[in-house]
Amino acid sequence: MTVRTPTVRLSRRYEFFASHRLHSSAMTDAENVATYGKCNNPHGHGHNYEVELTVRGAVDPITGRVVDLVLLDRLAEEQILAPFRYRNLNEEVAAFRSTVPTTENLGAEVDRRLREAWPKTFPGSGPHLEKVRIWETERNICEIAAENRQ
Amino acid sequence: MVISKKVEFSASHVCRSSQLTDSENERVYGPAANPLGHGHNYVVEVAIEGDPDPVTGMILDLKRLKEILDEKVLDVYDHRLLNREVSPFDRIVPTVENIAIDIWNRIAPSIQGRARLYSVRVHETSDLSVEYRGAE
Repeated sequence: MTVRTPTVRLSRRYEFFASHRLHSSAMTDAENVATYGKCNNPHGHGHNYEVELTVRGAVDPITGRVVDLVLLDRLAEEQILAPFRYRNLNEEVAAFRSTVPTTENLGAEVDRRLREAWPKTFPGSGPHLEKVRIWETERNICEIAAENRQ
Repeated sequence: MVISKKVEFSASHVCRSSQLTDSENERVYGPAANPLGHGHNYVVEVAIEGDPDPVTGMILDLKRLKEILDEKVLDVYDHRLLNREVSPFDRIVPTVENIAIDIWNRIAPSIQGRARLYSVRVHETSDLSVEYRGAE
């Protein structure tokens, strides 16, 4: 007999501090200033970023958990926190040599890294990553949900 | 349309399963497996879905929702050791997942009329929360 266990969504938040500069080589200096304003400062600036991962799955009837938090924390540490923490994103993260580290592009990179590494940590039909949200500040938040991924 | 209300309770729990060995419990739950227990200030967000009544402009009277939450959740959970004092946690581990499901089961039958229970989200800490939307 198959025991049907309830499906829940668990959200886990992480924080890292990093610097960046918003500047596109495809635009003129004046266009960059017009587009990015203060964020175009050539010396860069930083944020306390927060990342929230929402994981959807069935609750294990024995542990009462939808996802092994030890494994989720390890995945976040390896894929996101260790590579981004106290980094200059433009200079030290390969993806941002060719794209501008806006909250949108940073969110997409976080999502891409996690999805690439996910099957190794959570093989089969285990918990899946439903949503990534990233806060650049309390007022700037970007969300990448499974249903609107490209 | 969805409207939500937030309430808080404080409780202690032990995250240990009798079906796991000591070392498995410690691996899965970490310090939360301490047999003597520990506690949290839980925040519960209950979301109700429906169309507002054309006369009152309400989906559900929020005073009534507060009464339901007081009676079905806070009176049961607040300042309790969940494993000992709140069923079903004598049988299943009071993880935040199971707490969200149990709160849903306790309040869903009381949400009536034009309102439908849409989701129960329980924050155990500022960096961990679980949302349950009923059977999917």
